[in-house]
Amino acid sequence: MTSSLLLSITTFIYLLCTVLYVAAVVFRYRPLLFAGTMTALGGFIIQTAGIILRWKESYDMGYGHAPLSNMYESLVFGAWSIIAIYLVFEWRSRQRALGFVPAGMAFIAMAYASFATGMDAKIQPLVPALKSNWLIAHVITCFLGYAAFAVSFGLSMLYLLRKDVKDNPGHGALAFLPNARQLDSINYQMIVFGFLWLSVGIITGSVWANSAWGTYWSWDPKETWSLITWFIYAALLHARTMKGWQGPRVAWLSMIGFACVLFTYFGVNYLLSGLHSYGR
Amino acid sequence: MANEKEKGSSANILDWLASLKLTLFVFFSLAAASTIGTLLPQGAELEESGFSPGTISLIQSLGLNNLYHSSWFRMLLMLLCVNLLVCTIDRLPKTIKLLRRQEDQFDSNKLSKFGTSAVMATRMSAEEVRPLVQNAVAETFGQLKDLGSSARFCGVLEKGRWSRLMVYGVHASVILVVLGALLGSIVGYKGFMNIPEGEASDEVELTVGAHNHLTLPFQVKCDKFEVSFYDTGAPKEFKSDLTIIDNGKEVVKQPIVVNDPLSYNGVTFYQSSYGATLKHVELEIKDSNSGKTEKVTTSLQQTVSIPGTDDQIRISEFQDNLMGFGPALGVVISKPAKPANGSWVLAQKPDFHGNKILNYQIKVKNISKANYTGLQVSRDPGVWVVYMGFTLMLLGIMLTFYSSHNKVWACIEPNENGNRTIVAVAGRSSRNAPAFNDKFDELRDRLNSVLKAEPIKLEQTKPEKAKAEKARPEKAKAEKTKPGKTKEEKKKK
Repeated sequence: MTSSLLLSITTFIYLLCTVLYVAAVVFRYRPLLFAGTMTALGGFIIQTAGIILRWKESYDMGYGHAPLSNMYESLVFGAWSIIAIYLVFEWRSRQRALGFVPAGMAFIAMAYASFATGMDAKIQPLVPALKSNWLIAHVITCFLGYAAFAVSFGLSMLYLLRKDVKDNPGHGALAFLPNARQLDSINYQMIVFGFLWLSVGIITGSVWANSAWGTYWSWDPKETWSLITWFIYAALLHARTMKGWQGPRVAWLSMIGFACVLFTYFGVNYLLSGLHSYGR
Repeated sequence: MANEKEKGSSANILDWLASLKLTLFVFFSLAAASTIGTLLPQGAELEESGFSPGTISLIQSLGLNNLYHSSWFRMLLMLLCVNLLVCTIDRLPKTIKLLRRQEDQFDSNKLSKFGTSAVMATRMSAEEVRPLVQNAVAETFGQLKDLGSSARFCGVLEKGRWSRLMVYGVHASVILVVLGALLGSIVGYKGFMNIPEGEASDEVELTVGAHNHLTLPFQVKCDKFEVSFYDTGAPKEFKSDLTIIDNGKEVVKQPIVVNDPLSYNGVTFYQSSYGATLKHVELEIKDSNSGKTEKVTTSLQQTVSIPGTDDQIRISEFQDNLMGFGPALGVVISKPAKPANGSWVLAQKPDFHGNKILNYQIKVKNISKANYTGLQVSRDPGVWVVYMGFTLMLLGIMLTFYSSHNKVWACIEPNENGNRTIVAVAGRSSRNAPAFNDKFDELRDRLNSVLKAEPIKLEQTKPEKAKAEKARPEKAKAEKTKPGKTKEEKKKK
């Protein structure tokens, strides 16, 4: 049993999970939602095992580092975070019908990690700059934030589709979902959660940079883009709390925010150069 | 609001400085400006960017090539701070006043008008009802405080007042971070130093302000520099053994690696780069005029005479690997009363055309190199202020969003006929309405069952309204709340 096998299995389980959740909504058949949850939980357990095994394998190879060091590993961890956040959310809110959003995103992340050209899935040694305990704190906190924003992005799209549909069950699959007001409220909770962790992520990165290079902020593109993302969500939270912005405006802002997250994550790595170039 | 017309223009400016509009404007402007900064080449990269000279001068005149340090970007940051400060001065006294306000008397009629409320009637007497209500509230929210009203029982429960102040903590944290950064930029410095193995230095080349030197009050010696590699050839670790020499005494001896610096007297040394430098070199110089060949041994930045002539030779630069051609020396030859001539001399390519300067053909015979370690040097007394800001920011964000100021009111009074006891409860939460409402529903159910409550004819229309309100609390709030004013403030007025 190798970690890459476990992670490949995970990819397909998340695909199955997405199909189950989508089918549940399309056919408005609740038992399928439960099956979706169980599949997500199963996939999550296997993925957790895969990540831990990969960690162990890196020790066996003599490198010994947490599997959070390159694009492949971060995508895998991103998928893991999305499912983790969603499962906790589902458990607490007893709200299952939205499962296809995180499951679909986790599947896309895993599939992209596995099949994208130029993606190196090998366990590589850690460059000196990354050898620090801050690596784990920094990557985990950032990804909790990113994952929450990813879910929020999906919820925002759903909100925009759902807002003009009546709750009446005769109105097709969309009416099976939580209503627009509930979506808006769930979305807000996700954004708050993401904002808190993005802040922790930026700050841990900043403290790390200071202990490695003697500057806590150097306007490196990655830093700058994470700050841009922070500004967008901070603006959203202020507008919502103080100005009472609701619904569509918040949904659009959240989608813009997530576009910034994606650019921070992919765009900066592939299009700009800087201190984070090892993330390629 | 009534004295709006009497306000002078200075008050208008203050209003604008405290406004949320300005906040949003600054957030979006900072985001847009930062985006431009990541897309345009910054600093020295601009000259190599391939833009036309016209574009380059336009970029330079707008400060876009040093955007994050340009005066207009700093103005935006300052505007953010001013916005925060003025907003705090404007709002904090109001919040404190609100929190200090003593609870007035109320009756069931007043409570029934709350968005989250329940009114019920029971045949039990007021004396019987009171402990039951207090218990029910105690089991869901907590202990009610008796307001000591004579005509009826009025009880209030309040939790988490401080929650409303947390947002000011977040705002203060931003100011702290900015102050820390300012302090660091005024009294601190950043630079680097290259120290060859076995040598000591106290010269720091500062990063800001080109070719600015600073002399440390002590010396840093690099005893040894080592690079280790993985099997794959990727670098594993850069390590420098450093010794601090203060007043001629070795005071600290410590190895440093990337991510593990050395601090002495507030100055921190970070492993940053490494390279090779020239120790000494033996040159064979052939004079093509006289045909004579001379040998010279020299080192970096040393001027020596070419034997038998009045000419001088100096090695001004050394590159361990110049554009893939191996070690190269920047050699300058000067003849009396003539401008100096120089060229790169390649050690491993004796036939390279640059190896001939004026009438001299130069051959590199023997090179002895030394490793140097590249250290990042930083002194930043502001960093602790920034870290305090970071801590406050995280605590503040967490408490702002995950704590709430909750209040529950309860009132017990006899009805007009005196044959029933009316019980009214109401609640309000500053945040997280769904969780609070769930708890309130639990309280309502408990009360209904312990009081064996009857529906009230008088309030027949009320539950409908409560339901409608509950179904759309966000919308209802949005309609009721004027921009920039919280519900509480409105209520106060």
